[in-house]
Amino acid sequence: MRPLDPRLLRHARAARGYVVLTTLLGLLTAVLVVAQALLIARALAPAIEGTVDGSWSSGPEGASLLLLAAVVLARAGTAWAQERFALRAAARTIAELREAVVVHATALGPRRLASGRGPEVATLATRGLDALEPYLVRYLPQLLLAATVTPLAILVVLGLDWVSAVIVVCTIPLIPLFMVLVGQLTAGTAQRRLVVVQRLGSQVLDLLTGLPTLKAFGREIGPQARVRALGDANRRATMGTLRVAFLSGMVLELLTTLSVAVVAVGIGLRLLRGEGIDLEAGLAVLVLAPEVYLPLRQVGAQFHASTDGLAAAEQAFAVLDTPVHARGTTPAPPLRGSRIELDGVSVRAGDRATDAPAGLSLTLDLPARAGGATGRVLALTGPSGAGKSTAVLVLLGLLRPDAGRVTVRGGVVGAGTGTDGAAGTDLAEIDPASWWSQVAWVPQRPALAPGRLRDVVRDERDVTDAAIDAAARTSGLDAVVARLPHGWDTVVGRGGTGLSVGERQRAALAAALLDDPDDVPLVVLDEPTAHLDARGEQAVLDAVRTWRDQGRTVVVVAHRASVVALADDVVEVVARPVATGVPA
Amino acid sequence: MSGERGTGRAATDPLRRAVPLLELRARGFVVAVAWGSLALGCAVGLAAVAAWLIARASQMPEIGAVSIAVVAVRAFGIGRGVARYLERLASHDLALRGMTALRANLYARLAAGRGTALAGVRRGDLLARVGADVDAVGDVVVRAFVPACVAVVVSVLSVVVVGAFLPSAALVLAACLLLAGVLSPWLASRAAARTEAASARVRAEMSARTLEILENAGPLQVGGAMDERLVALRRTDRELAAATDDGARVSALAAALQSAAVGLAVLGALLLGIPAVAAGTLDPTELSVIVLTPLAAFEGVAALPAAAIQVRRSRRAAARIMGLLDEAEAAVPAAPSAPAARTERAGSAGETPAAPPRTLRALDLSVGWDGTPAVVGVDLAVGVGAAVALVGPSGVGKTTVLATLAGLVPPVAGSLDVPGDAVLVAEDGHVFDTTVLENLRVARGDLDEAEAVTVLDRVGLAAWLDALPDGVATLLGPDGATVSGGERRRLLAARALVTRAPWVLVDEPAEHLDAATADELVRTLVADARATGHGLVLATHRLTALDAVDEVLVLGTPPGGGPAGVVARGSHAELVGRDPGYAWSLAQEQPGDPAAPVADLGSATARR
Repeated sequence: MRPLDPRLLRHARAARGYVVLTTLLGLLTAVLVVAQALLIARALAPAIEGTVDGSWSSGPEGASLLLLAAVVLARAGTAWAQERFALRAAARTIAELREAVVVHATALGPRRLASGRGPEVATLATRGLDALEPYLVRYLPQLLLAATVTPLAILVVLGLDWVSAVIVVCTIPLIPLFMVLVGQLTAGTAQRRLVVVQRLGSQVLDLLTGLPTLKAFGREIGPQARVRALGDANRRATMGTLRVAFLSGMVLELLTTLSVAVVAVGIGLRLLRGEGIDLEAGLAVLVLAPEVYLPLRQVGAQFHASTDGLAAAEQAFAVLDTPVHARGTTPAPPLRGSRIELDGVSVRAGDRATDAPAGLSLTLDLPARAGGATGRVLALTGPSGAGKSTAVLVLLGLLRPDAGRVTVRGGVVGAGTGTDGAAGTDLAEIDPASWWSQVAWVPQRPALAPGRLRDVVRDERDVTDAAIDAAARTSGLDAVVARLPHGWDTVVGRGGTGLSVGERQRAALAAALLDDPDDVPLVVLDEPTAHLDARGEQAVLDAVRTWRDQGRTVVVVAHRASVVALADDVVEVVARPVATGVPA
Repeated sequence: MSGERGTGRAATDPLRRAVPLLELRARGFVVAVAWGSLALGCAVGLAAVAAWLIARASQMPEIGAVSIAVVAVRAFGIGRGVARYLERLASHDLALRGMTALRANLYARLAAGRGTALAGVRRGDLLARVGADVDAVGDVVVRAFVPACVAVVVSVLSVVVVGAFLPSAALVLAACLLLAGVLSPWLASRAAARTEAASARVRAEMSARTLEILENAGPLQVGGAMDERLVALRRTDRELAAATDDGARVSALAAALQSAAVGLAVLGALLLGIPAVAAGTLDPTELSVIVLTPLAAFEGVAALPAAAIQVRRSRRAAARIMGLLDEAEAAVPAAPSAPAARTERAGSAGETPAAPPRTLRALDLSVGWDGTPAVVGVDLAVGVGAAVALVGPSGVGKTTVLATLAGLVPPVAGSLDVPGDAVLVAEDGHVFDTTVLENLRVARGDLDEAEAVTVLDRVGLAAWLDALPDGVATLLGPDGATVSGGERRRLLAARALVTRAPWVLVDEPAEHLDAATADELVRTLVADARATGHGLVLATHRLTALDAVDEVLVLGTPPGGGPAGVVARGSHAELVGRDPGYAWSLAQEQPGDPAAPVADLGSATARR
């Protein structure tokens, strides 16, 4: 794992600017740290050597102190700027990554979101990326300081006193060396103990979370002593791991402090013998030596911030680096008069060795003019898990089939013969926006835009209030409106009155009834299954009949016999285990 | 957070209430602070003695004059790392002991609290995060209490060292330490509070928008609404960044103050020290000490802004824990006839033999969580060996009725007579991280292996049991992670079969099961009630198997709104003949219906 992943800079613009700023501030800090040490030494040395008198403040010492004051102010300003812009940059970087992850995850399609990774992506996008804040705000600046302050301070020490520089340069490689050695020696032990710790910890939690159940059966007293015993065992095991884990921290502290001590003693003894070092240089080196190590120690202290942050970034890149299918670019033909064909469509069902649907073929002929003919209702049936909803996703172009294809041929229905032999356009090549604008989809759990209910149902279309009222009567939305505090003017959705899934479904049905049948000739309905009563079922049947009467073609995922009875065509969707090579 | 303030008992700081539950030992705390002070004291000592050493050495005295200083500098150089190591071990040991005590105290008080089961039903999320909250409260020891005490000790030490040479410089140092150790942490804490307050709402909105987009990606794309939602998300994220930015204004001030305080202390020492040396009142070597000591003295207070933020975090966690305790310990008046000694019977409830023939009786009973009636006018009589079912749409209040019958919620009105124990087998009952057998023994301590195998067979888990590596001795893993939803339901139902309580209340036994298994399970539960002579009350939304029970109560909400009530009652057969809604619902469940979940894909293929 690299401490600064270049992909972070590639994916988040805010991070790029921040790294540049932090590097500049790091360089400035390095200069200021060195200046501060030199100025302190310059002011202090003459006073110690007894060469200052009462008029010192107007002499070079006074000037040094003025400069020192300026440096102190400048360092405070740098610290201010670092903190001020670090938090802002972190918030923006997280926002950029969040948007990128959300956009990419939706582009990956429903299969990705429905698989086990879906909740993971949601957790990452809402909370997980927050781990980047401590990484960017605390860890990264220290890392960059280690790359600016440490080398510059060493160079200055070299100029002042090469012996001290040699000591410092020799100890620095020892730090990672010893930390790696300690880490390797203890890794096995720590890992083994960690397993014990986690096991014990989860057992205590288990008893706590299960307490209501124990109480329901009157058995809550027994485990009380066990909670304490498990806690004690947990503590002993944890301390075992910590004794080992803290060793690397001790090595870090020991090496850094000890080398400062060695530098100090070395300077002292050479001063004593008058061996080629003056007091001012000695004092400057003494002030600088801890500064060489400070960023390294801070990097060590913020190690967890770094691993957590990088792990979150890694998860984000895993999403972002998953290739997506290129979007089609061919504009969809007008669906009026088109023939849509599903030909041997199979979709592998998640992790199971099953195709659901398996080899699904069907044909939809959409009449050329809405007024010309009534539409048709095609019901998809089959047991749950057969892939009915998946088949709908394929038809909508939200999911690419693993085998087979969906094709569209424009202008063939009702246009006589002649073009019948022409090959259709593969749905994968069609611009999805031009396809979706001609399709109305009422899913199981519709998502309504927030706003006044009337505006939500109207959805910026040119329809009269009377038409909306009629649609509401058909879909059963009128009963919902009657119940709402402000009727049609009630603000629903986020921040407004909540609507149940069933109520949202009715609103979506009403909205789909208001489409211009010529513009939106295809309706796809995922019939609601949950908590539907007789009135709700009637509303669904009425809506399907109305669509058909409007001359639209309806594809419905049917769960109830009554809906199947209404359909003109019934296609059974089946799932099939994938052949494992041995013919049955 | 305004939620931390309240009235009466809750008005006191939740962290202050939670800390005694950690049972921190004074000795352990003193040891940790001592090691920590020694570690930082070594750093300060190293700076002070090295400053003196170099200044003195420049005067070229005899080697003997500085030999003690040389030894001291080396000792401080080694001592710091070692003392810091020991401090970390001591403070973590202290914190871990504290967490153990807090968990044990929490368990004991939750176990004793009458409202626990109730709180568990309503605040399951809180119970689930209690582990993280305990850790957050324990962290306050390592990340706030010990560092704060160490900072005080080391600061006083530094001021005393400097003061021994030049009292005026000590005053400047003390003032600067106060800036960095009090004002800066206060600002940092303010900044965190400000960001939190400003971002809480925006953060919730960001979460909601993100989840909406991810969950409804398909419908939003097809409906052409995706771009608009992404723009809205971007807008919300900008608001969030603005809220963070607002807090950053203050925390940047805290950071600048930290940095400035060190510089000011050094500058002050130079300004006061140089004239003192020139005037001959301060020895030159001492000047070196008072100027260079402050450079190391601020390490202790530098940790305090983070400590202040940790206190806030721990306080929030403590507020959740204390809230849970308060809810569990809130005096829930005993149901009229429920035995007051319910909490004292040590592991015996399920083991008392069935009570003599009596009747669980409710007359015009109103139930509700907070004293507001959710369901009113429930008349119920369950005899020995009888079974009654409560049906109705989800959310109508079936669980509330069961919880009231079990004595977990006091009745709002009406009378309730429950002779003996009523055991509620909750829908979200816990599957423990132990063996299958121990999980059944939760319901009856003396259950033996053979009985366990039999009962698992009766709930349809025989095949599942056969597949387990160690039979009933197989470990199930944390929170039954290795158990599917359907298996979990049946395992919980097995507990209902095992218990010997005279009244068994089972909530939604059919959830997560396919139709045939669900109906089979309900019939098994009813048959068991008839055979062993306990009374059974079921809450379910599936009707097919209810021909087995004696009476069905249909709960529903009146058309005009208001609390739910019993809209129809009678035997299954009567209701089918009399109630069109009931008959319609039942018809939806009939076999051959395409909605009936078919678990076996193989048979679906065969039908083709």
